[in-house]
Amino acid sequence: MIGIIDYGSGNIQAIRNIYRGLKIETFIVKGPQDVPLATKLVLPGVGAFDEAIGKLDQSGLRSALDNAVLQNKVPVMGICVGMQIMADSSEEGTLKGLGWIPGSVKCFDINQMNTVPKLPHMGWNDISFSEHRIFDGIDKNIGFYFLHSYFFYADKKKDVIATSCYQNEFDCAINNENIFGFQFHPEKSHANGIRLFKNFSDILQC
Amino acid sequence: MLRSRVIPCLLLQNKGLVKTVNFKDPKYVGDPINAVKIFNEKGVDELIFLDIDASSTDTEPDYALIEKIANECRMPLCYGGGIKSVEQAQKIIKLGAEKVAISSIVFDCSEIIDEMAAVIGRQSVVVVIDIKKNLFGKYEIYTHNGKKKIKQGLDKTLSILEEIGIGELVINSIDCDGEMKGYDTNLADRVRDLVSCPLTILGGASSQENILNLIERYKVIGAAVGSLFVFKGIYKAVLINYLDNNYRDKIFKIAGERKN
Amino acid sequence: MEIEKKSELTVCSNCVMDTTDTKIMFNDEGVCDHCTTFYRDIEPFWNTDDQSLNNIKRVASDIKHEGLGKQFDCIIGMSGGIDSSYLVYLAKEKLGLRPLVFHVDAGWNSQQAVNNIEQITERLGLDLYTEVIDWEEMKDLQLSFFKSGVPHIDTPQDHSFFATMYKFANKHGIKHILTGGNYSTECIRNPKEWMYFQSDIRQIKDIHNKFGTKNLQRFPLTNILWHKVYLPYFKGIKVYRPLDFMPYNKEEATQFLVDHFGYQRYAQKHFESRFTRFYESYWLPEKFGYDTRKVQYSSLIVTGQMSREEALELLKKPAYDPKTIEDDIEYIANKLDISTSDLIGYFNAPNKTYRDYKNQQFIYDMGAKVLRAIGLEKGGKR
Repeated sequence: MIGIIDYGSGNIQAIRNIYRGLKIETFIVKGPQDVPLATKLVLPGVGAFDEAIGKLDQSGLRSALDNAVLQNKVPVMGICVGMQIMADSSEEGTLKGLGWIPGSVKCFDINQMNTVPKLPHMGWNDISFSEHRIFDGIDKNIGFYFLHSYFFYADKKKDVIATSCYQNEFDCAINNENIFGFQFHPEKSHANGIRLFKNFSDILQC
Repeated sequence: MLRSRVIPCLLLQNKGLVKTVNFKDPKYVGDPINAVKIFNEKGVDELIFLDIDASSTDTEPDYALIEKIANECRMPLCYGGGIKSVEQAQKIIKLGAEKVAISSIVFDCSEIIDEMAAVIGRQSVVVVIDIKKNLFGKYEIYTHNGKKKIKQGLDKTLSILEEIGIGELVINSIDCDGEMKGYDTNLADRVRDLVSCPLTILGGASSQENILNLIERYKVIGAAVGSLFVFKGIYKAVLINYLDNNYRDKIFKIAGERKN
Repeated sequence: MEIEKKSELTVCSNCVMDTTDTKIMFNDEGVCDHCTTFYRDIEPFWNTDDQSLNNIKRVASDIKHEGLGKQFDCIIGMSGGIDSSYLVYLAKEKLGLRPLVFHVDAGWNSQQAVNNIEQITERLGLDLYTEVIDWEEMKDLQLSFFKSGVPHIDTPQDHSFFATMYKFANKHGIKHILTGGNYSTECIRNPKEWMYFQSDIRQIKDIHNKFGTKNLQRFPLTNILWHKVYLPYFKGIKVYRPLDFMPYNKEEATQFLVDHFGYQRYAQKHFESRFTRFYESYWLPEKFGYDTRKVQYSSLIVTGQMSREEALELLKKPAYDPKTIEDDIEYIANKLDISTSDLIGYFNAPNKTYRDYKNQQFIYDMGAKVLRAIGLEKGGKR
């Protein structure tokens, strides 16, 4: 069963609603004892980097998640800040990230922006991706809904599976083996989002 | 490229949806949940819900209703109306909204923006400013559903908000509200260059063409729409509607052109 | 939930009505009284030939004439369903009328209904008027009906439609109302046991008094004597059914609107309201054993639009969609602000009939007798 991680950050209910609509069962992962029960994991997140990492530490879930994701290769999907905390570090904060995918989180450079609006990157934006089963049936022109001021900068280009453009091209989806991260909000992106969640659920062992 | 957002804006009063004209004479237009369901099925960009009495009556947000609304939205939801504390904002986000709109509290205590940002994230803090022209044509700020005039001027307010940093600014024209005679682009022009956050204009949308013109003018903007997406025709028949495919394509095109 | 013992049902040899209509009668050939009433009382007098079309065109001409100089010459009640949608098209394009399209929003409009109303009125360049029923009151009245245990729980919606339209016509001095009612798809009617008269105000008031929790202050109410006697005979407000005067084939009409007006199809008749869909496809058949598809298909059978075999085949499957029914139950409960277990509780409560509550049945019976005697009404509910 897909486990949605509740560590105090992110729109859990919206993700549950989507899976309920797809008739796919989910459960809420609240404590480390819940983690082994998940066949797949969804890691949501909003707000500031340090705050999210702090909450994750407080929840006691961190090592159970490290174990599930890094040792047992349980497929995991990080959303927005949930994706960002998979990095090593962030310009936004001082705490260390999970380090699941090598990279850092940077802020869009407003000094380079000469039109308004500047921050946050808010709204529907199209994405570019090369073929990947996670994007099966996704309309790239419609894209997804974004709401963020910081973005993931992957160290290795091979870990980037989709980019979007806000002032410049930036990494908006990452993947390494069982680990997926999406900067946008699939739980609030209508049909594309629903399809993405379905595709994630269909992924076989990575 | 980032597209402009076209956002139905729904007003709540006594659990029902209402539509006003210049913030007066609320007319009942039906059940909010059914409206949300229909907008959701139409694939709208986002949704704004404002409880118009909450500030004046000093009541808690209707959490049960917010939860139901959020459950029906597969697009971002912004909820506002009488929100005065970080706890309220946090609760609303937890129920499934993406953004929380605040208005009058900003003038009593602007520190609340940072306090809320620390908990729900700055991108989720939306400030709504209701504006009316005085006899001399000067734009003035009102709160409490248009009943209380704020001394602090528009420019000063915008500069303070720009300094603090917010997720989004919604400018709501009381003069244009419900009139369906066109957006106040003078007001929008005035505000656009004074803030660097995403801007949304509300009040007066008269037609899909009018919405498109707003977007053509500012390239990246939020076009919030009230009466136009709820009423149809000269008898103001209540019929939930949204952009047709033709206009949606045109908006895509405007975004696409920015790449080149 | 009762499991229907099909082997104990007797089905009409001509249509698909059966003994779930407890008052059904069969002749020696096994043909039911619904069919024989149609063949005897309706079919011989129902013409859709050129002369009939000319008749309605003449009526339309009179309506047009009376309406000269006014903003519109008649009103048409439009639900977004196929009958009323097609009628709107016909009224404008074939009869040359200038109707005001009238819609009552009872809070249950499906996205398709809203789309269809928008597309058709927009493309035909017609004006639309809507009346929105106070949702809190509608909810309270609908819940009262659920609690009462009677089958006709769609009465609040139906009643509000007619009451609002008649009140509007009366208030604005409109003499001509067109409805999409038609013999083609409705010559066989739901038995009274299944769907009691939605206009019986005594029944509504009694059920609400017993189970309602708030006063009905804004809810539109009418009564049979007012709109069937006073309005037509004293105020001259006439109701017409133009679809009876020309060939009307439901499937052809639907395809035509799909092709030319961006019309979105529904899974079944009356599915433009999410409540009606739940009510007809699940509540009535599963709680009471009343499957309204039998009525609808039978109408199509006797008018040659469907074969009996086709109908029987379709009836083998449940009326509701097993894939979505749980979501539907949750949706209905949610919308009515009750829990799913409350709703299921009402489902499992004992079945009642209209006779368990106060009613004006005697007026309807008397009226029907009078109207049939003077030849003004054919067929009808029994």
